[in-house]
Amino acid sequence: MDAKENRRAIIVGLFLALGLAIFIIGVFTLGGQSKSFAKSIHISAVFDDVAGLKPGNNVWFSGVKVGTIKEIRFVGTSEVRVRMSIDENSQQYIHRNAGVHIGSDGLIGNKIIVIDGGSPGAPIVQDGDQLQAAKLLSTDDMMKTLQQNNENLLSITSDFKLLSHKILQGKGTVGTLMADSTMAVQLKASMRNLQIATASAALMAKQLNTFSNTMNTKGGLADKLFTDTTTFNRLKAAANQFQAAATNANAITENLKTTTDKLNSKDNAVGVLLNDPKSAEQVRSSIANLQQATIKLNDDLEAAQHNFLLKGFFKDRAKAKADSIKKAQGK
Amino acid sequence: MDTTDSTPIPEAPVRRKRGSKLKKSINDFFFSMYQINQFILKFFREAFVPPYEFKEIVRQCYEVGVRSFTLISLTGFIVGLIFTKQSRPSLLQFGATSWLPSLVSIAIMRALAPLVTALIAAGKVGSSIGAELGSMRVTEQIDAMEVSGTNPFKFLVTTRVLATTLTIPILATYTGFIALFGGYLNVAVNEGTSWRTFIEQVFEPLTFVDFTASLIKSIVFGFTIGIVGCYQGYNSNKGTEGVGKAANGAVVTAMFLVFIEEIVIVQISSWFR
Repeated sequence: MDAKENRRAIIVGLFLALGLAIFIIGVFTLGGQSKSFAKSIHISAVFDDVAGLKPGNNVWFSGVKVGTIKEIRFVGTSEVRVRMSIDENSQQYIHRNAGVHIGSDGLIGNKIIVIDGGSPGAPIVQDGDQLQAAKLLSTDDMMKTLQQNNENLLSITSDFKLLSHKILQGKGTVGTLMADSTMAVQLKASMRNLQIATASAALMAKQLNTFSNTMNTKGGLADKLFTDTTTFNRLKAAANQFQAAATNANAITENLKTTTDKLNSKDNAVGVLLNDPKSAEQVRSSIANLQQATIKLNDDLEAAQHNFLLKGFFKDRAKAKADSIKKAQGK
Repeated sequence: MDTTDSTPIPEAPVRRKRGSKLKKSINDFFFSMYQINQFILKFFREAFVPPYEFKEIVRQCYEVGVRSFTLISLTGFIVGLIFTKQSRPSLLQFGATSWLPSLVSIAIMRALAPLVTALIAAGKVGSSIGAELGSMRVTEQIDAMEVSGTNPFKFLVTTRVLATTLTIPILATYTGFIALFGGYLNVAVNEGTSWRTFIEQVFEPLTFVDFTASLIKSIVFGFTIGIVGCYQGYNSNKGTEGVGKAANGAVVTAMFLVFIEEIVIVQISSWFR
């Protein structure tokens, strides 16, 4: 009987202990999730509108839950102070110049506070600090913007209505275009021409493409011109030489021009010879006289050779010449 | 010794000559209230005054808690599974099936776990206590105990009420855990959610207020089931019919009171949220 009672007591004890353990684990899990048992600091922010934020809602920083909302109360005339509990382990990442705004956990999720921004240069946030709250874009604001968009849309559609009415009446360029059949024929012809021009342009583009492909052929002249630095340098040197030759040719041309100018003028001997017929006649006469004088001189010199005074000289010279020939033949 | 120890509390005196039927009903109601109040006060007096019937309390814990564990576990599992399955189509319309763990946890931890446990316990344990004590009253075992010098109220009522008050919160904890597991199986099969993610999402919407309210509810439900069962059985009329009435009265009254208490506690806990 005692053994049965003991067994029963043990089972009951296990039953209660296991149940309590599950309950306690649940409590600690919940506490861990809501950071209830973690060391925390408290910071605050003042909003114009908290959009239904409630104590217990989460605080996010860089998409990570770092705390919860502890208290929400009115301050001043209509502002709301939100006090947040931030996990002490996350404190080091939040800087004093960080901002806060109210967001949503998903599209239709709970309201949350999002801490964002903050520069590393700013000091770390401390217990009791107040962060700058960004103005929340409320539903009313969105509705106002939407209303403005509606008005703009109404204005645009009114303009379009007027425009389409004028077009239907055949007013304006577009209206004329749509109403006038001649215009349509002309437009059709223009379009045809445009089509032909486009086809030509396409063909030209194709040819240009072929040409450019040829130009880009490896080892070709154009390719070498664009890619081979040695050829380029040679071409550059040749061009320089061409330029120097052209400069010289230019100078020669100038000199020739000066010379021909002088040849055409009568202020010099050659010019006079070339251009003055009287002088030419005189020169011709002088040459004729000179020819006659030469003939006569030849005759005189022949006669002198046979003179006794000079006859010995000529005989000696003839004899020396004959000796030198014999000497050369003897060797 | 108090008269309530040994004899059933007398019926309200019939005063047909002095009032109408309505008046009699009102008098009966208030007299019953008085009797119940006296019964509860007597429980508290006996519960905190030695000697303590530890062995009997352990035995009753075994009967109430351990013996109900299988039934309540199975019920909790089915409740979690079915609730998740039935909630899915509604959330699917919004593409919000990822919220199922949160929805299931709120429903189970705030309401279903304590309520389902209490209803099952009211049916199984409440009727059992009512019938047991009723039959003891009918067979005059309670009178015999009194004659033998044993305090029947302390031995029979206090131990049973303490057992239900202690074990039903534990059973509710098991129910909650098993129901969540049932929900998890459904979510895991359909969404492929991992256990860790599921647990994270389960605890995400819960607060200590939910845990505390749930615990208080379970304690109150346990106490109600115990005290109603004991009251019905301890004060049953003599005769075999009285046993059936006591068992039936224990179940019906306990269930009705459980719902009333549920409303009241939910309302009170909402003030703390």
